[in-house]
Amino acid sequence: MRSSPKLKPGIWDALVALIVLVMAVGCACAVWTGDSDGGGELEAVVRMDADGTDTEIRMRLDGLNRVERTVTSNGYTLQIVLTETEAWVEASDCPTQDCVHTGHISRSGQSIVCLPARVIVQLVGGDGGDPGVDAVVG
Amino acid sequence: MKRLIALLTAGVMIALLAGCRKQEASAQIFAMDTVMGVTAYGGSAEKAVKAAEEEILRLEDMLSRTDPKSQVSRLNGSDGAAVAVDEEIVSLIREAGTYSQATGGAFDITIAPVVAAWGFTTDTYQVPEQADVDALLAAVGMEHVTLAESQVTLERGTEIDLGGIAKGYASDKLEAIFEEHQVEHGMVELGGNILLIGSKPDGTAWRLGVQDPAKPNEAAYAAIVQLEDAFAVTSGSYQRYFEQDGKTYHHIIDPATGRPADSGLTSVTVVTDRGSGSGTMCDALSTALFVMGEEQALEFWRGSDYAFELILVTEDGRVVVTKGLEEALMETKESGYTYEIVS
Amino acid sequence: MKLTTKQLTLCGVLTTLALALSVMENQIPLSAAIPLPGIKLGLANIVTVFALYVLGPVQAMLILVARCILGAVFAGNMNALLFSVMGGVTAMLMMILLSRLPGLSVYGVSIGGAAAHNCGQIAAAIISLGNTAPLYYLPILLGVSLFTGALTGIIAACLFRALAHTNLMRG
Repeated sequence: MRSSPKLKPGIWDALVALIVLVMAVGCACAVWTGDSDGGGELEAVVRMDADGTDTEIRMRLDGLNRVERTVTSNGYTLQIVLTETEAWVEASDCPTQDCVHTGHISRSGQSIVCLPARVIVQLVGGDGGDPGVDAVVG
Repeated sequence: MKRLIALLTAGVMIALLAGCRKQEASAQIFAMDTVMGVTAYGGSAEKAVKAAEEEILRLEDMLSRTDPKSQVSRLNGSDGAAVAVDEEIVSLIREAGTYSQATGGAFDITIAPVVAAWGFTTDTYQVPEQADVDALLAAVGMEHVTLAESQVTLERGTEIDLGGIAKGYASDKLEAIFEEHQVEHGMVELGGNILLIGSKPDGTAWRLGVQDPAKPNEAAYAAIVQLEDAFAVTSGSYQRYFEQDGKTYHHIIDPATGRPADSGLTSVTVVTDRGSGSGTMCDALSTALFVMGEEQALEFWRGSDYAFELILVTEDGRVVVTKGLEEALMETKESGYTYEIVS
Repeated sequence: MKLTTKQLTLCGVLTTLALALSVMENQIPLSAAIPLPGIKLGLANIVTVFALYVLGPVQAMLILVARCILGAVFAGNMNALLFSVMGGVTAMLMMILLSRLPGLSVYGVSIGGAAAHNCGQIAAAIISLGNTAPLYYLPILLGVSLFTGALTGIIAACLFRALAHTNLMRG
């Protein structure tokens, strides 16, 4: 035995757990904030790897009726559904099915990632893809 | 183990308190013919937003031209008699009068009957006969309005519409409310009138897009400016207009002619620092300077005692920005406009 | 580094065990409950913790690399290699560091390792996709790592207790 591990949790273990927790909350603040869930025009951005080239589809969700898109990327086929307020992956032939399990996303900043198919469905705050503005006057 | 759990709980509390964000509240209010957005961070943000909502509705009740029970409607229906109104309205009309005077009548709240003749008040658009317009113009002008402490007299035929400054005035009132509740960061959007309190919560400046008049229904900007602690108001011919016999008629009526101002501009944005100007001022000036046109507007800017900056969008595809906004301006690529800084 | 026959044998057994655990956890449909790409219980980390204390960092690292490569070969998915290596190595480095700190028990080491494991996996996802979108999952994965880390810590602690009387622990 090289070193004998302590087998009872102590105050220092709690500290480690605390640090991880603070990091989680900190990350959540950093990654999940700045999203307006009201007002802004939502846009769905679908990035994929079709035939080895990166392809991007952008679609304004505002005023959109239900749209179904079938995309083939990295050898897998995903059925993506976009509505006025939500986006989700209806079906996929990828092995992990994580993208399908992620369910519906509806807020700017949220995303669905399908690793095997290398597809990302992301909701962004509209604004035509420019650097984005916080308010519009006019 | 108990200690561990206690520590963890304490950790969660600390993380939530310190790590995350300040109190945040926002609301959307349908009032004054538009959707208004109010967002506040820090201080008593929730109370501030609630108070802001109540204030907006109070002002709408008081200032509405279309609600027959409002004080403004009672004034307009007075048929030449003196009407007792709140002192607040008297002082607002008085303030409107000073802007009218300062702009040589380019801004005038008594233009209301002419605007109504064009149908902009009731959405029944029509091009009126010039003779009718001329007849109405006879009753236009602040000289037809007599103010007392809490009493207003409009001459027969004269009507007022405070719509041209109501939103600006509302933004001034909301500024006071936000200050009272110690809001640190906030944004108020009152249909074309913007009030920015502080910076964004993350410490960076707010990015304000100036609507591209050529694409009124798209998220397209003629310019983007980075602002903190500021008022901004845009008047544009694209905001309300109708077409008849292939001609376009917009809603900003020139009090001198009684016809839509034909000034070569498509929009005027007036920006001022919270410390040195007010929302009411921006609201009144944006209308007046649109009526004046580019040259006169810039002349007014150079010679005026009011502290403000301008973003003018012209019919021939230029964006003219005054010197004070040079640093804040971010030209938007692909907007198709050419940019000019003037001093 | 000199490996005694006993250590070599132990390395082999532990590699096999780690491989078995990672194959086993692939059968647990955790992603159905928490639908995030790359989420794992991290059962194989039990072996890493164990090897780290009983055999030392170098041997533990060897076992880890062998497990990752063999796992990818068995799964027939070399793309997954990047994920398991990035996650595994980050976790390993973190656990080596933490195990040297006095006062930390297996629990703290496991939790730290699990958190680092998830960070590594997110990094792998970012590299593989060339996009920072996976960052969105980091807070959730960090939160989950508290539980998976505690779980591997409990199992590792049980393991040490159970084997305390054997000569395995007295290399």
